[in-house]
Amino acid sequence: MRGLSRLGRWAGHAIAMLALAVAPLRAQSLLVPMDDAQRNHLKAYGLAFDAIKTSQRAEWFLNYRGGSFLLPDAAALRRKATLDGVSVTPVTDAQVAAIRAELVAANMDAVVLERVPRIAIYRPVDQPPWDDAVTLALTYAGIEFSSVWDDQVLDGELAKYDWVHLHHEDFTGQFNKLYLAYRDAPWFVAQRQRDEATARKYGHATVPALKKAVADNIRQFVERGGFLFAMCGATESLDLGIAAFAVDMTGPFSDGTPVDPDVDAKLDWARSFAFKGARVEVSPYVNALSDIDGHQVNVPARRQPLGAFSLFDFSAKLDPVAAMLVQNHRSVIPDFYGVTTSFNKAVLKPGVTVLADEQGAPWVKYVHGDYGQGSWTFLGGHDPEDAQHAIGSAPTDLSLHPNSPGYRLILNNVLFPAAKKKPRKT
Amino acid sequence: MCGALLATMAVRAPAQSAPPTSSTPPTAPDVDPMTEALGHEDARRWPQAAAAYRVLLERAMREAEGGDLIALALLGLERVWAEAALRDSVLPVVEAVLRVRPSDPVARSIQFRSLSVASREDDLRRAFEAWRRADPDDASPWREYLRTLIEMGRVRGADSVLLDARRVLGRQADLASEAAQIMTSLERWTEATRAWREAMDAQPWTETAASFALQRVPAMARDSVRAVLRDPPVTVPARRLLSTLELTWGEPRRGWDALAELARDDSTAAAMEAYGTQVEALGAWSVAREVWRTLYASRRDLTTGLRAAQASLAAGDATSALALVDELGRGLPEGERMTRTLSIAVQALGALGRAREASERVERASPLLDDSTRADLAPLLVSAWLRVGDVARAREVAERAGALDDDATLGWIALYEGDLAEARRRLVRTSALASRDRALTDALGMLARTRVERSDALGTAFLALARRDTSDAIERFAALGRSLPDVAPVALALAARLAGTGRTGDVAMRYWGMIATDHATSPEAPEALLELARAHARGGDRVAAIARYETLLLDHAGSALVPQARRELEQLRGQVPPARQLEDACAA
Repeated sequence: MRGLSRLGRWAGHAIAMLALAVAPLRAQSLLVPMDDAQRNHLKAYGLAFDAIKTSQRAEWFLNYRGGSFLLPDAAALRRKATLDGVSVTPVTDAQVAAIRAELVAANMDAVVLERVPRIAIYRPVDQPPWDDAVTLALTYAGIEFSSVWDDQVLDGELAKYDWVHLHHEDFTGQFNKLYLAYRDAPWFVAQRQRDEATARKYGHATVPALKKAVADNIRQFVERGGFLFAMCGATESLDLGIAAFAVDMTGPFSDGTPVDPDVDAKLDWARSFAFKGARVEVSPYVNALSDIDGHQVNVPARRQPLGAFSLFDFSAKLDPVAAMLVQNHRSVIPDFYGVTTSFNKAVLKPGVTVLADEQGAPWVKYVHGDYGQGSWTFLGGHDPEDAQHAIGSAPTDLSLHPNSPGYRLILNNVLFPAAKKKPRKT
Repeated sequence: MCGALLATMAVRAPAQSAPPTSSTPPTAPDVDPMTEALGHEDARRWPQAAAAYRVLLERAMREAEGGDLIALALLGLERVWAEAALRDSVLPVVEAVLRVRPSDPVARSIQFRSLSVASREDDLRRAFEAWRRADPDDASPWREYLRTLIEMGRVRGADSVLLDARRVLGRQADLASEAAQIMTSLERWTEATRAWREAMDAQPWTETAASFALQRVPAMARDSVRAVLRDPPVTVPARRLLSTLELTWGEPRRGWDALAELARDDSTAAAMEAYGTQVEALGAWSVAREVWRTLYASRRDLTTGLRAAQASLAAGDATSALALVDELGRGLPEGERMTRTLSIAVQALGALGRAREASERVERASPLLDDSTRADLAPLLVSAWLRVGDVARAREVAERAGALDDDATLGWIALYEGDLAEARRRLVRTSALASRDRALTDALGMLARTRVERSDALGTAFLALARRDTSDAIERFAALGRSLPDVAPVALALAARLAGTGRTGDVAMRYWGMIATDHATSPEAPEALLELARAHARGGDRVAAIARYETLLLDHAGSALVPQARRELEQLRGQVPPARQLEDACAA
């Protein structure tokens, strides 16, 4: 046995020597640069996701060349990179060591990505994927996801997922106050009938009651450790729906009863994620839910022009979560409208981490926070590459925007639940 | 603040000009203040210029007919104080003038400009109200206020003011230009078009502005613009605007439709002539043909007729071109007929395969032609003979016309005769002059792939192409690999492209398949894979299509076709919206 063991050790050394001898001939890793050298930033996330899925190993180099990825040098990954037009650079272990030395010395860090997040998007299952920026981004990048809607949420299926995304759903049950303009439009009629049927199925008298129940389920999902990412009108309406759990904040056009006259005072902001002290817009003729949104795009007299928002810098070593969420090759990004475009600073809760704002403006664009054992991120606006998106507008074709910095923010959120270590916050 | 204080002092002591300094040249007492002010302004002596304009203003205010001088003095003060970074100093002076002349339009416009630059929006509003009170029935205060708001970017505010103006004044035409600008800024295209149309009726010079403003109307809103401009009454400016817009939107045919319905008169004819020239420049020959033929039908003049014939020829309608030049020629003396119409007639006859007739016409006209015209006709006659495949006659014409230095003509003839060395030598020299000639590109591409000096097979294949015998050309190019293996993939690709344009799609796919299989590393392989992938996708074989796209992307990563292939692959996989979805949204 001992002889065999010695032979085995000798063979092991020989193989190691041979490996060292051939090492310079092939790379050990693939660096996916995420600065301007990258030809397709969005699909690079899909490549990293694939690497985690197939080899359970990838690293995210925060603040290094726009937030680059280090992946194993596998033939399948090289093939996918070529097919998707993603720029990759083969690197040897020595080169990786040099990069790591650079990470140690600067405001950079390496985060190991090792777990494929189970992703759910809150959207009607039969809806085409072209009216929701997250669905667009995930579909384009080739990242798998499931669709959940009210039935699945109320049946407790959110527990199956790590990451849930919400887009422009109105969790106050007022159909984004589109009743006046679109009440006879076939799509609006179908949407209302569908929601009323679901409300009846789950024993809720009205659509607002149904949506508030869904909002509370989502709140509990985060409280128990889930990751939530919301955009557009879902940000504002989710917090309003949660805060108005025990008060009637909707007018007769949606639930048949008048708004509680003391609605603002009765909102329970202790339950909400991001906002406090907001005032509800009770008029059915004003297309806004509250004063949370700074831009009020659908209220002509209050509408504010679009500017540009700046991403904040965070310490990669001390505040990796915030740093992950703002990885980008651009730090100033043109703003874009949505049902909710931005968040007024005056209604932000203390402790909310602001990830991006517009200089000199009374609003912020991108916020993040912890809630219970989980965390949430809100990004205002509908579509980063269609600044004035309107109902009926052509869908965004992301193959025309493969380097979109706005869409990168969405994909940062998709990937950060894959991080290994429990991040610390400053 | 400092500037305003200075200006106030100036108003209180109007006659006190600045004391002369060592840098100020002495002024003769009889020099009029206007000349003096302009002199100082030219010399960039702002304080002295301001003082002189103040003197001018003071004198003008004392005169009963001093309106023009007041305007000149105020405008001068506005200029020099702006240069001296004391722009708001003009306000107290203007206000002093307005106390005496509350409706002075120049003083009011300077006041509005100065207040808007200083972002004093409340004062601006008050100034507007004061002017309105002074001239309750006049549109000028409204117009000036609207323009100021538009320039400040306050388009929504301007929109509200416009509504007030319409309510108060009860008429719109006076403010049509401003309304048009506001609606354009708000992207309310139907109303913007209506307003521009009204503005053009009252102010014809706004047509160019309307054209620039409406060019950016998105595709989905263009039908409303069309409807407004087509509404009765049918007017030349509205239709001319629509035709210009259609051109910029890439719809020359629709542009012509807009003009064709106009009643014929001089201004219509001028609009049509301008349009004909524009579509010619764009190469929209079938539209140009209709424009010039329509004009010729009413004018019956030689110049228009020749343009109609030339456009017909370029549009591929050689029969009409020939009929038209023959008709034109009948009314001309023989000499003029030869010089003006013969060239088009020879081209038309050549295109119709009537080379002998073309040759006879040139022969008959020969005694009347000068050397230059004869030299110009020779290549046309050569083309006519090549069109019927008679290379010998083509060479004879070329040599007789002394075309020994004409590389293009002799290069092609050499190629048809199979003399590849001579063809290569001559055609390369012409490539810089005819870089858009597809046939030349194909020929040079093929000649560059072989070192063989003689090949009858290659010559006859290209000659078949020159004869427009596509079926024969396809077969000859496809078979070329047997005698010239070097050019097999490029010849197969040419055969496939020719087959793909007709009703022989299966044949094309067979050739593309041969390239992908037998010449997988050739430069033509990416194109073959792309065509095959598209054919599979059209036929519903998604798996085979994806496999072809992936082979292209993986094996030919450096090909220029990679972005196109990647995009089509993404569409096939449903990673981006399908093209139809985008079209539907645009059409909605």
